[in-house]
Amino acid sequence: MNKILLIIQREYLSRVKKKSFIIMTLLTPILIALFYGLIIYFSIEGVKGTHSRVAVVSENAALTEKLTSNKNISYHYVEQPLDVLKSSFKKTDYDYILYIPAFELNTPQGIQLLGTKQAGLSLNGRISRDIENIIRNQKLKASGISQTALDGLKTTVNIDTKKISEGGKEQDSSAGASTIIGTVAGILMFMFIMLYGIQVMRGVIEEKTSRIIEIMISSVKPFQLMMGKIIGIALVGLTQFILWIVLTASISTLAVTTLVGKDQLKQSSTMSMKAADGTTVNTAAVDSVDSPVLSMQKSLAGLDLTKIILVFIFFFIGGYLFYSALYAAIGSAVDSETETQQFMMPMMMPLFVGYALSLSVVANDPYGPIAFWLSIIPFTSPIAMVVRLPYGVPDWQLALSMLILIVGFIGTVWLASKIYRVGILMYGKKTSLKEMIKWFTYKN
Amino acid sequence: MLIINNIVKQYATHRALDDVSLHVEKGKIFGLLGPNGAGKTSLIRIITQITAPDSGEVMFNGERLNVQHISQIGYLPEERGLYKKMEIGEQVLYLAKLKGLSTAEATKRIRYWFEKLDMGDWWSKKVEDLSKGMQQKVQFVATVLHKPELIILDEPFSGFDPVNADVIKNEILALNKEGATFIFSTHRMESVEELCDNIALIHRSKKILDGPVAEIKAQYRNNIYWLEYQGEYNFENAQALFEVLEHSVIGDKTRLKIKIREQQTANQVLQALIPYVAINRLDEVIPTMNDIFIEKVTEKS
Repeated sequence: MNKILLIIQREYLSRVKKKSFIIMTLLTPILIALFYGLIIYFSIEGVKGTHSRVAVVSENAALTEKLTSNKNISYHYVEQPLDVLKSSFKKTDYDYILYIPAFELNTPQGIQLLGTKQAGLSLNGRISRDIENIIRNQKLKASGISQTALDGLKTTVNIDTKKISEGGKEQDSSAGASTIIGTVAGILMFMFIMLYGIQVMRGVIEEKTSRIIEIMISSVKPFQLMMGKIIGIALVGLTQFILWIVLTASISTLAVTTLVGKDQLKQSSTMSMKAADGTTVNTAAVDSVDSPVLSMQKSLAGLDLTKIILVFIFFFIGGYLFYSALYAAIGSAVDSETETQQFMMPMMMPLFVGYALSLSVVANDPYGPIAFWLSIIPFTSPIAMVVRLPYGVPDWQLALSMLILIVGFIGTVWLASKIYRVGILMYGKKTSLKEMIKWFTYKN
Repeated sequence: MLIINNIVKQYATHRALDDVSLHVEKGKIFGLLGPNGAGKTSLIRIITQITAPDSGEVMFNGERLNVQHISQIGYLPEERGLYKKMEIGEQVLYLAKLKGLSTAEATKRIRYWFEKLDMGDWWSKKVEDLSKGMQQKVQFVATVLHKPELIILDEPFSGFDPVNADVIKNEILALNKEGATFIFSTHRMESVEELCDNIALIHRSKKILDGPVAEIKAQYRNNIYWLEYQGEYNFENAQALFEVLEHSVIGDKTRLKIKIREQQTANQVLQALIPYVAINRLDEVIPTMNDIFIEKVTEKS
């Protein structure tokens, strides 16, 4: 037992001390935080930043003095004819000229937006939406609807998705946040199993090619060496994962507050409060702030993050053990990494399939039969389960999946140890699958 | 100290060891000889408990070989290496701790050995920065550091220059003097003659010869002598005494390689010659281990 601890210690320390590990561990959260911060920064900057002054030359009585300025566009009605304004445009401080010719309300044609810069799609869209609104209101009035009735028509609908949890309590949830959390967890799980599984394989190959293996196994049992390596590398993975979570969370908070400033965060949240009341005009603008920052924060609060992280760690350990034992067996059977190809493909397939299906089918239909089976079969369950988890998984399914995964990895570890103990002492021989099966019959 | 009884080891299609029995005495240097693929490595792997025999038993100091004995055995395999990215000192420390030494004790002994073998400043070097011979030295230290009672060396001198080979040889002899028993597997017969007290020769999975080196060599004596003298003597007259195998004349000296006939002795040869010539030399040509090895291995095939 003491020996296995020594091996774990060496495998762990030799990897954690590596420069590449330290850089990866520190850089990734900084990048994530930076990305997160930039999204927030731009969504807020975007709201206040694009402000256009538009001179309106209207030859249409129905639209004169009707366009009202808002946060993004200020409309200024000008009495000058279009030609005069055009020639003196550079001297004015307008960004654009909006020209509205006379037309029948049914056939609004010939509206132009002129400027020295090409107007962007969003500005164009905003102006046409404003004009459309006015025309629609005019038409409605023409058909006999009063102004008060018109005002009464304005309603804003926000759907709050809530889950009914056990005991009939309501829980805030968000399909969007579940998808994001599930997808991120699935990708992370896939990456972790791949990266750290391959590290196990590399470690075994390194011991074989450097020929230290025979010195090692004259001191320890092959099984101890294999398990020590697998566990040591698992701890490296966990260390990285936990550091990522802690660092990302702290750096994100830091980045958001310094990059954006507390006032603006507060401002954007009060704006969205108003939006929820349905009283503000500027819903479009507030939406863009609302979606990345607040809805995330709001629905994150609705998810049981602790549970998700704990289950993630369980399935990471389980899935990693399940696959890394197989990786160790492959590593023991070959002499160099290039020889691993023939064994890698059949082994990687279930992981890839699980990954692809989890991010498409499972995310779209988290309660369907495919999602169920993918999250039960140990080859795919680590990925499928963490993708499903944010949508809510019945406890019995979670328990069943965990149980099968435990049985699964005990099975693969047993299988791998049989191949490993023979494989590590075979130098310079090409190993076929058939031969590996033969090794099972060897006595140790 | 090590008794091996009727070991059989069978791999899928090939029998690596067939009813092999050996007896390694305490405090001796035992040579395990045999051509490539004879089964030496299989036998060593059984003694080091890397594999187990299909039948037969190994007794270590009177007990059946078990896990407790691992810390009393030091093994330097022929296929040997070190972790490339690890510092030398740390690496030897790791291997020593796996053999059951405490960190403090292991560190002390590593310092002692590094100093002794002229590798004092190697502690924080990496394996990739060392030459092959330097790596061998590190491996040797790792093998003997935990003061094992039984030290198994498989081709210990490969990769060493003559100076370092001598250093290692002297360390082996010194350890032997302090009581360590050695099993020594090699193809270099001159080092067998120099170091080994006893040998066993394994060929095609079977033991075909064993015993003390001196006795084996005595067995293979065939009464061949070098004879050198000054003066005139017609050795045709001595046909009944010996047979001449080679004959050469250098100046006034005559040199003969003779085979003394059965029932005759070197004394009789001398008595026959002394009246006629001045004898410079009469010495026995003792077969080398190399000769014996080649003879035994080729006669069977």
